[in-house]
Amino acid sequence: MQYIIIGGSAAAISAVESIRSLDRESRIDLFSDEETPLFSRVLLPYYVAEELSKPLLNFRTSDFFDENRVTAHLGVKVTDLDPDTKTVRTTEGKEYAFDKLLLATGGKAIVPLIPGVDKEGISTLKTMADAERIYNMKGSRAVVIGAGSIGVEACISLTRRGIKATLLEQLGQVMPTVFDAEGAAIVQQRIEDLGIEVFTGEKAVKFTGDKRVTGVVTDNRELPCDMVVLSVGVRPSAELAVQAGLTIGDLKGVRVDETMMTSVRDIYAAGDVAETMDIARDTWFLNAIWPCAFEQGRIAGLNMAGQKTLYPGSYRRNSIGNFIGIPAISMGVTQAESCAMASAEDEFREIRVRTKDSYKKLVLKNGKIVGAILVGQTQKAGLMSILLRKQVYVADAIPMLMSDRLSFMDLLPILRRNADQFSEPEYKELMDTGM
Amino acid sequence: MKVLMVDKEKCTGCHQCELWCGAEIASTSKEMTMAIHEQPQPVPRVYVEGKPFALQCRHCESAPCLDACPNGTMRRDPETGLIYVNEPTCIACWMCVMVCPFGIINPSSSLKVAVKCDRCRSMGYPICAEVCPTGALALVERKDYRKKKF
Repeated sequence: MQYIIIGGSAAAISAVESIRSLDRESRIDLFSDEETPLFSRVLLPYYVAEELSKPLLNFRTSDFFDENRVTAHLGVKVTDLDPDTKTVRTTEGKEYAFDKLLLATGGKAIVPLIPGVDKEGISTLKTMADAERIYNMKGSRAVVIGAGSIGVEACISLTRRGIKATLLEQLGQVMPTVFDAEGAAIVQQRIEDLGIEVFTGEKAVKFTGDKRVTGVVTDNRELPCDMVVLSVGVRPSAELAVQAGLTIGDLKGVRVDETMMTSVRDIYAAGDVAETMDIARDTWFLNAIWPCAFEQGRIAGLNMAGQKTLYPGSYRRNSIGNFIGIPAISMGVTQAESCAMASAEDEFREIRVRTKDSYKKLVLKNGKIVGAILVGQTQKAGLMSILLRKQVYVADAIPMLMSDRLSFMDLLPILRRNADQFSEPEYKELMDTGM
Repeated sequence: MKVLMVDKEKCTGCHQCELWCGAEIASTSKEMTMAIHEQPQPVPRVYVEGKPFALQCRHCESAPCLDACPNGTMRRDPETGLIYVNEPTCIACWMCVMVCPFGIINPSSSLKVAVKCDRCRSMGYPICAEVCPTGALALVERKDYRKKKF
């Protein structure tokens, strides 16, 4: 068996590990256009903040490729993928044949078409080169455009280095895909407490300056600055898939089935490039987050190596960690309205509990959790995550789920009546205790 | 692999396991009388909750925390199957907390690391089971639930 993996981040590495758990012998060729392999993109804001040096960005040790007997082609881009002859061609002009191939090409940061966006001092934050560029930028004032997770973290990272940062978001709240208005208000207050200026509902229309950026003009004001970070989102790097004629979804990701196989036999896709069935939304979606990439890479790898394993589906999960001083976790959909596929029969419920320093919200669809937000008290967030993943009926257990004394053992009755869905030994053995 | 099981008939909810886990494992002094005064406060890795029942990391066969950790801080010991936090590299992103189905990972704001049970992997035998006055906690071989019953 000859495996080819295109990509070198979470999905790719996870696939290598799962292939090697079943097949120690076959050849694996991995192609990555990043020269520095094995670094974690999630950690780039920490690099910008000067909190982690380059070696500490790695999520696997540098001997990973040797240990796993992977022939790594770093800084090499695959330019052609031919599903008929089952070959790929690289920038070096070489051709490689495969039996099973994984597309883990990830995503590209979106560069918005704003006049002047090509000026010096303006950068996205997606690659190692981006992080180094931002780290080395000179100046004392920054504007960050787009208040998603990366934008918020970039802002705080720059602030920690003494740079005055302004956060600009064209929608009406910060982290619009992560929190509802109430959760976002708590987060925004925390960001402002750090000395960051936040403008929501405001759009960048122009960048000023000759060669170098000197300011951002919005529809309300002009913000003088020395640097700009663009964090308006990512889109799948699906060029190879398009060229190879694989089925592409409405959101421009590569469509995969439950085994992570694309529309073409023996070609798999995982991670930010893949468009998967979203459990919470009950439709195809791009969930470009680390945990999904890792899960999908593992499932793809197992299937590629011959062990049929089904992916239950993806769902969004975000944690903003220690960045804002209080933990905040969100998963699935943030509000009932965002369930695009809702039919007339579907019934939605939102349950909220708010205290001075905490906020907890569940979104239920037909009695099953499709979204959760936890700010302040987050230790039991994973309980919501597993109930969301397994899509079990919980409408009769709301007071228990909303209680701040909730413990896993309280869930046992729910697990028992859905025993076929909780077949893993870690659940079975606790169900056996008779609690 | 072996797992810790709790006999619900024997667990009286006395919190001895929690206390000893906090003193013996989590504290820097390793001395009960000093541990209670330590700042930041030691964080025990076992939770006596609910009815009562002593719950700690289940060391899942397919562990969501391993998938979620963005920098390889959460690791599985290949020999014992035990999952542990490599604390020096933890960046307190709480991605593991977000996915732990048992809610047993503590996002410690004072320590700025994810705190969870590694079943005393460097001590040979888990302290919680050793100190339990009623013998409610026991280390047993994990059952193979996939085996067909005839």
